[in-house]
Amino acid sequence: MAEMQNSNPTILNAADLPTRLRPTVTRKSEYGGIFTSALPLTPVDFESDPPSDSEDDNLLEEPIDEQEIYDLISSISDPEHPISLGELAVVSLPDIAIKPTLPDVPDSPLQSVTVLITPTITHCSLATVIGLGVRVRLEQSLPPRFRMDVRIKEGTHSTGDEVNKQLADKERVAAALENGALMGVIAKMMETCH
Amino acid sequence: MSPKVTITHLSDLTPPSQERTWLTAPHPTLPIVATCSSDKTIRVYSLTNFTLLSTITGGHKRSVRTAAWKPHMTGESVLATGSFDATVGIWRRWDSYGQEDSAGMGMSSNDKPIPADTLTAASNGTGTVAADREEEDEEEWRFAVLLDGHDSEVKSVSWSASGMLLATCSRDKSIWIWEDLDDGDNNFETVAVMQEHGGDVKCVSWHPSEECLASGSYDDTIRLWREDLDDWGQVACIKGHGGTVWFLDWEGEETEGNWSGPIAHSDSESELSALQAQWRSQRALSGPRLLSCSDDRTVRVWRRQPKESQQTGPLSSATTGIPSIIRPTGTDEVWEEDAVLPRAHELPVYAVAWSKRTGLVASTGADGRIALYEERFVTREQEQEQQAGSDAMDTTSGDVLRTEWVLVGVQDGAHGIYEINHVAWAKRADRGSGGEEEVLVSTADDGSVKVWTVTR
Repeated sequence: MAEMQNSNPTILNAADLPTRLRPTVTRKSEYGGIFTSALPLTPVDFESDPPSDSEDDNLLEEPIDEQEIYDLISSISDPEHPISLGELAVVSLPDIAIKPTLPDVPDSPLQSVTVLITPTITHCSLATVIGLGVRVRLEQSLPPRFRMDVRIKEGTHSTGDEVNKQLADKERVAAALENGALMGVIAKMMETCH
Repeated sequence: MSPKVTITHLSDLTPPSQERTWLTAPHPTLPIVATCSSDKTIRVYSLTNFTLLSTITGGHKRSVRTAAWKPHMTGESVLATGSFDATVGIWRRWDSYGQEDSAGMGMSSNDKPIPADTLTAASNGTGTVAADREEEDEEEWRFAVLLDGHDSEVKSVSWSASGMLLATCSRDKSIWIWEDLDDGDNNFETVAVMQEHGGDVKCVSWHPSEECLASGSYDDTIRLWREDLDDWGQVACIKGHGGTVWFLDWEGEETEGNWSGPIAHSDSESELSALQAQWRSQRALSGPRLLSCSDDRTVRVWRRQPKESQQTGPLSSATTGIPSIIRPTGTDEVWEEDAVLPRAHELPVYAVAWSKRTGLVASTGADGRIALYEERFVTREQEQEQQAGSDAMDTTSGDVLRTEWVLVGVQDGAHGIYEINHVAWAKRADRGSGGEEEVLVSTADDGSVKVWTVTR
């Protein structure tokens, strides 16, 4: 990284970033009332039996929503600035979606997390590293029933399709995890994660 | 409505690896399998009692991604392994313990007499197998040679039908063909390096009898390779998949008294034998078909156009208007899509396996599902029923035999919540088995390997 690709990025005020600590616009519109943050994130169905799925740690697992995904990845640092991906708006809450992986199998625990990444400039060669960092962070933090789909937001990068294909390739991601130099860069990006 | 196939869990292979397992290769003759793990080892399990027989360690510095058994070996087993460390390892072991297992003795690695003369085990290839008794347990798998040549992760390895050639492929976009010189010194010679693929080569697979290699790639193509006057070259490039081609498998070649072709749901014996005879003659012209699976979620079957019909078929200049000078000539082959199997996967399909015994196809992938498909003859009546609703006349009926692929079984969550990386057919060898049954062996991200029975 001899020269910075984007030496003057737009930075959002940390106080404006979505968080669960205060009721945000999205939260309000969904549940209303100021006490909602104390309620479970997903409505609990008291009538149905607890999941019969005795598969390892599923029983105790808390529901995971988009805000939680955002919290996991927004604190990752940009590889060239000491600024978080959230502050740079590389990741944002509306660009995170969770949906069932197998819609035709109602009792399947599998869920797919889609994260769209907006690089700070359209030709940023670090887009792959940022995407890999996001994918690795999610793989290490989320239970294995989640399938990651980390992609560059359409129209925000000159070689988006190429980057997306790499990020979706399980074998390449697995090999990258065994690459010491690359993992060093990613570990540094994650130093700011809690 | 249509007869279904039942998938039943028979056993896990225990103990499992604690890390991701990528692939399990069944031995061509012995009731053992080799499982490749991210923990840098290869685990050899028994299909007789489903327990771990030995763990091959120390050869690879990164994940072991792939493995293949050399065919036609007697008295000794030879395993090729490919790793993310860019190397291919060759391992050898005398077969005594596998044979004891096949005799139904179960766990037998204890109480083995240590041969008085262990020197013969360091064979130079001239010693007779009977004299070469077992080495000590720790040394049972002998590291023979490391094949060095690829620049990055090795993704797949495959032995040719004769066992003389080994193909290896890598993220470096190349395919290497090595000749096993079988000189007792573990020498391998590089026969060819092919670099036509535009991306990682994910898999290589040899034709069941000919020296023809198929490869699948990150560039979304499948390519076929043959030797022409000392030079290995591409003879076909199949474009059709809309994503990385993850795995390939060939249709079996018919063996005496073993029908592995399409199923006919017909009462008439004579109609069935007529269909089978016509099927055989068509197959004789085009050869075994190729099965592929992809990131695009589909599973497809490809058929080689018979050479004869290339001259008069749809690609001839008379039909296409293309001058004959750019038509395929010489060694070039035309491969066409034979079928897209019924869609059964929501996420990338990582592996397919075509049973050489029954003709059933199995597929699996990131959605944790195992799907089974059966090929069936489309009979005259069915064809007429289908046509009744449309005014199109099927002019090909009568001279071309039609088949359809039917999804006959789905096992969701076969390894719980985990992705499944590989599936393979193997001969059943446990005590509950009778005769010529097959089992399905699936390999998953959590390190588990499961054995399934399939009945129809």
